[in-house]
Amino acid sequence: MIDLSQHYSKIDTSYALTAKDALGLKLFQAKGEGYKLTGEEFYYLRRLHRINAVESQTNLWLFLGAGIMDVKKNNRSDDQAYVSPTIQADYETRRLYIMGSYQLMRIAHDNFDTSKFKAGFSFYKTSYEETQPWFILEFSHTNSVSEKLEIVPTLRLINKALYFEAGISTAGDPKLHLMYTF
Amino acid sequence: MKKIAYLLLIFLSLNSYAATQRVEVMGMVCAFCAQGIEKSLQTIKDVNDVYVNLDNYFVIIESKNTVGIPDEMIKNIIVDAGYDVKKIETINASVKEIRAKYEKK
Repeated sequence: MIDLSQHYSKIDTSYALTAKDALGLKLFQAKGEGYKLTGEEFYYLRRLHRINAVESQTNLWLFLGAGIMDVKKNNRSDDQAYVSPTIQADYETRRLYIMGSYQLMRIAHDNFDTSKFKAGFSFYKTSYEETQPWFILEFSHTNSVSEKLEIVPTLRLINKALYFEAGISTAGDPKLHLMYTF
Repeated sequence: MKKIAYLLLIFLSLNSYAATQRVEVMGMVCAFCAQGIEKSLQTIKDVNDVYVNLDNYFVIIESKNTVGIPDEMIKNIIVDAGYDVKKIETINASVKEIRAKYEKK
């Protein structure tokens, strides 16, 4: 998985141990108001609960991350170990997608908690073999890094193993997200 | 008499189709997640072909043998992939025929 934007970049790889559990490794960098964060994180992902209905799927996920982060602030740089849990819930049908997540990240006296909300719709239903286009509106906020709520209108394309998103935030920051499953 | 028996044998062998099963799956809402089901089913050595239909929430499994894949095995694979099975039935059509029926628009 790759995320690219002016303020946040991430490369992430994970291995599914079971249908409910995965282990992953991610490298990321976030830049904001006076901060530059560079981290390496090992994480465990657990699907806590899923409700399958005929036309929908509802999930509750838990991410448990632990790593080392270099926090640069006002020309000072510190390496800090951290533990960061994230709880995420999503609901999806063939035409509708809603997701909310909250990541707790406290390092020393800094609070980098991130909240995200995504909602969107697919323009039309597609068959299994076809590429399905979606419009997703993403709202996110990371404490300390930015005072502002970031809003990103995004085009999402899904074609079996390939999941691609491209958007431009209302502040003009382009974002790319690419995911591929083997 | 021998000729009749021989012709009958050929006729019967031509009519012994591979088994095809139709599985109704709950929670199968996108291709990105449904491909996990397709990949898992294709790892069964007796499976010849798999067809996923998101519009009608079913998966078709065509076997290389005439008895099909045990229902319990299908159910376990789909549940392990994170979905629920509503119904499994044996049908009298090939994946190729079903694909042609549903994909023509």
